[in-house]
Order: sequence, then C-alpha cells, then structure tokens
Amino acid sequence: MRTIIMNCEVCQLKELEVEHFEIREVLRCILHTIVFHRALGLVRPKDVDLELFEITYVQCGDVEVEKKIDEKIDHFISWVEKHPNKKSQICLSFYEVKSKQPSWFTNKTERLYWEQWYLNLNVTQHPKSHLGKSHHSKVVIDPGDSGASEERSSRRAAVEASLREVLFQIIKFVNEKKDHVPPISEGVIYFPYEITIPRKFQ
Amino acid sequence: MEMDRESGKLEQIVYQFRSKILHVILDSRVPSLHHRHQRQLQQQESLSLSRVRKTDKWFNLVLGDRPAVLENLNFSLRNLLDPMIIDVILVHNGSCSSSVDNLYTPSAAASGPSTETVIERWVVQYDCPRVIATPSGADTSVSYKKTYKKSIVLLRSLYAQMRLLPAYRIFRQLSSLSQTYNFDLIYKVSSFSHPFSREEEDVMKEYSFVPVEALPGHLCVSVTYCPTLSEFNLEPLVSLPPKIITDYVGSPTTDPMRSFPSSEKGVRATSFPLRGVRPPSSAPFQRPHSWSSGFHRGFPFTQNQSLGGSPPAYRTSPVPYDIASPPSDMYGNRIQNHRLSTLQQVTAYDEYQLSPPFSPSASPSPPTYLSSANPLLTHHRSETAPVTIPLPLTGRSSRYLSPNSSDPSRHSLPPLSPRSSKHDASSQESPSGIRSYRKIEALRAGESPSGLANHYSVLKVVKDSKDDSGRFSGLLSSSGSPRIGFSRSSSRLSFQDDTDDCEFSCPFDVDDVDASDSLASQNIEGKKASEFTAQSAGKKSQDAAVGILVHMLRTALPLRQDSSCYSAYSLKTECEGGFGTASEFYMPRKTADALEELKSYREMKDLLLSKSGARVVRKEEM
Repeated sequence: MRTIIMNCEVCQLKELEVEHFEIREVLRCILHTIVFHRALGLVRPKDVDLELFEITYVQCGDVEVEKKIDEKIDHFISWVEKHPNKKSQICLSFYEVKSKQPSWFTNKTERLYWEQWYLNLNVTQHPKSHLGKSHHSKVVIDPGDSGASEERSSRRAAVEASLREVLFQIIKFVNEKKDHVPPISEGVIYFPYEITIPRKFQ
Repeated sequence: MEMDRESGKLEQIVYQFRSKILHVILDSRVPSLHHRHQRQLQQQESLSLSRVRKTDKWFNLVLGDRPAVLENLNFSLRNLLDPMIIDVILVHNGSCSSSVDNLYTPSAAASGPSTETVIERWVVQYDCPRVIATPSGADTSVSYKKTYKKSIVLLRSLYAQMRLLPAYRIFRQLSSLSQTYNFDLIYKVSSFSHPFSREEEDVMKEYSFVPVEALPGHLCVSVTYCPTLSEFNLEPLVSLPPKIITDYVGSPTTDPMRSFPSSEKGVRATSFPLRGVRPPSSAPFQRPHSWSSGFHRGFPFTQNQSLGGSPPAYRTSPVPYDIASPPSDMYGNRIQNHRLSTLQQVTAYDEYQLSPPFSPSASPSPPTYLSSANPLLTHHRSETAPVTIPLPLTGRSSRYLSPNSSDPSRHSLPPLSPRSSKHDASSQESPSGIRSYRKIEALRAGESPSGLANHYSVLKVVKDSKDDSGRFSGLLSSSGSPRIGFSRSSSRLSFQDDTDDCEFSCPFDVDDVDASDSLASQNIEGKKASEFTAQSAGKKSQDAAVGILVHMLRTALPLRQDSSCYSAYSLKTECEGGFGTASEFYMPRKTADALEELKSYREMKDLLLSKSGARVVRKEEM
C-alpha cells in the first residue's frame, strides 16, 4: 500500500513523565481525546473518570475504537517492558483512503495522511518493580515512609497537571487547525486512523 | 431564492449552534439538568444512535433530550446578533461551625451569609459586520457546509474542555447524591452582563476558541473562568443529622394506646429534615443510579424536599433581564415545588427573574407514580426511612446486616426517594410497611408495640453483592455518572460497607430493590394466609425474618433503663404459637399492650405479604 504524507498537520504533544502503572490511563486519556475530536460523525459522548488522576476525559462511545486503542496500548506496554527506562513515542495518524487505478507499478489503494499526533512518554520506572505489572494499582505506600508518600503525592500532582496541559494542547490544536480536515462522509463516525510506534523508537 | 435558502440554512446553523452550546454548558454545570439527562440515558433501552432525536443530530453530538428550559432560554435570546452570555454562579452559603444547628433553626441558616460568585462566563456570539458583501450562490453553499463542519469540531472541543475546567469538579460534587454541600451552582443566561471588577479580572483567566467562519460573520465562543476555587470554603454538610422525633412512642407524652394505622391509611412516619439528598429516579425495575455525568450520574427532587427546609431565600438577580436559575434552599438544593409553581408564572422571559423551570414532563415526580391509585405511596413520598427486614443469612453478603452499627448516622434514614416509591408502584405492590418506615426500636426499650408505627429500623437488606456490581456497572458504563468523590472509579459505587461515608449514593434504593427481591423470593414460596401464624411452614421465612428483627431489637440496648419490661418479652413464645396468652407477659404490661404488639406484627406481616404480591386486605381495626 502506498503511503502519502502531504499537507499533513503534525502535532507534537508535550512529553509526559509517567510511571509504568500510569501508562494505560494516560494513553487512554490522550488517545481517546484525540479520536473524540476527530470522530465527527454522530456520536454519543461518553465521560470517563480516570482512576489515578482527577481528570474526566471524553470518549466517542464507539466500541471498536475502545477496543483498538486498548490493543495498541497493550502492544505499547509490551514494548516498554522490553525497552525499560527509555523515552518512547506513540503516533496516532489519520488518513484518507484513496483508490487508485491499478496498474503494473502501483497498488490499488493509497493512504493520504492528513494529520499525525505524536505522544511522547518518558517511562521512569522499571516495569518489573515491586509494584508489579498491575496497571491500575495505586502506589503502595509504606506506612512508615511519610516523606516518600509526600513525594509520591507531589509527583502524582505534577503528572496530573502535565496531563491536563496535554489535553488543553489537543483542544488548542484542533481548534486552530480545521481547514485540513476532510469532509465528513455520511454514516462514518470517525476518520480512519492508525496507532503506531515510530521506527526510531523500535 | 437560492441565496435566501442558503442564508436560511446559515441562520439555522447559528441558532442551533447556540442551543447546542447552551445544552453542553448547562448539562455539565447544572446538576438537576444533568441528572435528568442521566435518567434519560438509563431509560433508553439501548444506546443505539439510530433512535436519536432530530435535535440531537445537530452537530453530530447526542446529548439527550433538550430540556424545554433551554429552548425557552434560547428563544428569549432569539436575536442571533445579540451575544448569549451564560454565567455559572457559585452560591456559597456562609460556613457555619455547627451545620447541625442549622437543621433545627433553618431560618437562621437561610438568613446566613451567602455569596454569589461568577466562576465562569461563557460568551457565544455571532459576530457579523454591518456591511455585508453579497456572496455568490456557490460560495454560500460551500460556506455553510464548512461552517457546519468546523462548528462540529468546536463543539467537540468545548465539550471536552467543560470537563477540564475547575467548575466541573464542583458540579460533580453537587451531582453526587451522597453528600450535600454548603454551596450550589446556578446559572444565568442573558444577552448582556455586568463586567467583572478589576479584582475579578485579575484573578480570572480567559480562553477563546478560534472563531468559526460563518459568512458573512464568525461564530465566536470564549470563556472567562476562575482558575482555582480553593479560596472558597466548599465543604460538605452533615449528611444525616439526627433529629428528635417528638412523637416517638417512648415519650411520656405519647399516647401508648394509639392504634396502629391500617395499611390502607398508610403508615405515618416521621419526616426527616431533608438534607438535599437528591433521590435518584429511574425507570421502573431499573437499578437506581449511583450518578451522574456521564458518569456516573436523573435525580429529581421529591416534594418532600420542602419538609424540613425553610422557604427558599431567593436572591433576585440585580439584572432585570436576567434569566436566573431557580432558587435554592439553605442546603443549596432546588425546591421542586417552587420551581413548578414558577413555571406557571412564566410569561415574559425578558423580565422574569427566575429561570424557566423544566416542563412538567420533566418534573421529577414520575407521572405514573403519582397517578397510581396507591394513596399510601403517594402519602409516603414525603416520608422517609424505608425499612427492610433482613433475610436469614443464606450465604448472601452480610454487609448490610448491621442494625447496631456503631455509626449512628446509619440509623437515620434518608427520605424516601421517588425511585423507590416508583419501584413500588410499578411493581404493583401495596404500600410496604417495611419500606414505609417502621421504627422498631420501641421493642428495644420495651415500649408499647403501638409505637411500631412511628419507628424506624436501621436494618438494611442483605443483598447479593453480585447483583449490585452488575447493576451499577451497567449504569456507569455509559457515562461518567456522578461519582462519589471525584477520582474514584465506578467500582467504588458498588456496595462496600466500609468506612467511607458515601458507600453508595442511594442505599435505600438498594434496599427497596432488595426488599422487593427478597419479598419476591418469599412470594415464590406462596403466601396466601392472612392471619399471622408463625408456625406455618410456608411463612417460615417471613416469620423468621420478623423473628430475627425482633431478636435484634430485643438484644439492642434499651432506650429506657426499664429492663423489666424488656426482658419479659418473649420472642420464643411468639414463634411458637403467637400471642397465646396474656399471662405470658410481664404483669406491668397490659394485655392491651400485647394486643397492640400483636397488631403491629400483623401489620408488618401484611405489608410483607403485600410487598410480595399477595394483596392482603385487612379490615380489622387496629
């Protein structure tokens, strides 16, 4: 399949420093927020509260989207576990599928990417720490270690503030760049998209 | 002609755009509106998008039925060139060191200091130049399609941003049914507003969405908001305050020979001062909501909200053309009665200082319920404290079996929610004395059994935890329904009998459902008899339940230190052969007392039976 990236708007989101158990929530929040802004078909928005942070984000409510995003997050987490303590990136791309006249030298379809989002994460903790692989577990607090607890709280607050900044960044971007968005097809809820880990990070 | 048609479409887009924005903003800032939306979501059989209304299809954003108030508001501001200014106002009741005192002197609290602060101001405007160059037909056609697409994007981002601003957290707190607070959110929609003071401007932040081209003008949306609300002393009020029951049967002034009311008349229960607990409502047979926003979180206010509170101290808006939100009582809750009466007074919106209330169809009083021929339920919509009899422990969770809970607040029961009553009506069950608020503490103190009518049990139904989680998860999956706390997951809304004060938002909805479940399960055994005979095998479970209840009360600490009367009561005798002989009772107790007691148990039994579907009509004099 031929890939064309022309007149593609690119948004580099602010880097987030997260711990392993926060990856899933953070990625869900960001990816769903972006897709919600690009699901311009008829949607019934679904509010979701994060467990680890006091943030509510919005999903477009499509089951397939939810499933696909969760799969990609699982894939990313596996990659992170194999490459611990490394900066990582996820790319969410929207494209149009253009059918092309088949010939000896060209494929039948081609993808025209019109928007790409780069999520930058810096996973700071080894995934196989004492916290284990529980993605939703909260930090186990040693009762006798109040100093570490305070540090954890402040770190958590910092991550929450950063995540909120990223969400505002998404809102700002989608508002500023609208002309490149393709027309909405009848019966289509969201534009075709893909979630990948860029090669340079693999 | 073509031009006119295209310009008509543009006008329609602008009009609907304003309506949609109003809907989005109020739905995520006004708890009552949001509750209504949640109720609609629960009532829908499925979340299929194929059955959405036309208004929902605008901008491809399904928000649920648009309340009439929104249409009225938008209509009143129908000049599209005028800005639509939506103020979200925080009403902060003065913090009182003793919130409990306010319960007994509501007038004092109502007249206490209360401040109103605009924490968000949304401005929606169609900015159109005076001199308009006439565009060509083709340009116009392409133009309005682009306008529509970009409006969709703007609305998406506005919807998301509503949940990121600080006021959303307050909204979620207020939407929670488990707590009441010393603050409330109201709104004001107008075509102009008083400018902020210099101090306010210094504090507030502004965000403007990129204007959407809507030739010949632009659609502009901006918000000015308080970046932090920490300086407001926003705190929850005491949720279940105790109240002295003046006609408690143990009181010397109470007539011990007072007859136990019949089931037809209903059981008179003592009302509680309402704490603004917003009872959930749902379609019949549905699990009560726990919240929402969804998610989680329709939660209308029952008419009993006015029982304990003072008349609302409504502060009229200084702006004559404002359309403000309904007044609230000292607890920051909407007074439904007031709002309904207000509806009838709405004639000219421009000069009306109360916001147009919801249409009657949106009334929190379920029409089907009110039209029910069940006077008891109607009567008891204003009453409180559903009472359930615990089932024998058959492997069910015992999380709720705690009549002697150390937490005194758990003994005070919130007002009956219309949901639970509605459930009764829809189940075609006769008024349940169990659910209708018996307090059996009289037995504890060895009081006359005639006092059973006016006492409340603190018992909760032993319920199946699996049912709980399943029901609640179903409710919460579709939205961020009101949650207890802010950052907690929906799992916390399962019934966890922990130290959290908000273990579930509507415990007695749970109880009601479970009561019906338990009674339904008992009904399977087939209850036909109308006489209270404990020895019947078919009624064993109910009698056992009654027995357990009595035993629990019996073993509880008496209110009075009159142990002689208490110890003389023989449960065993009752189980074996009913109230066989008067001589079984201690001499100080009169036969009449025993008969009263018997009658009360009969009443309870009848109510249980009626609850399970067997209509027991008792014509005996109580």
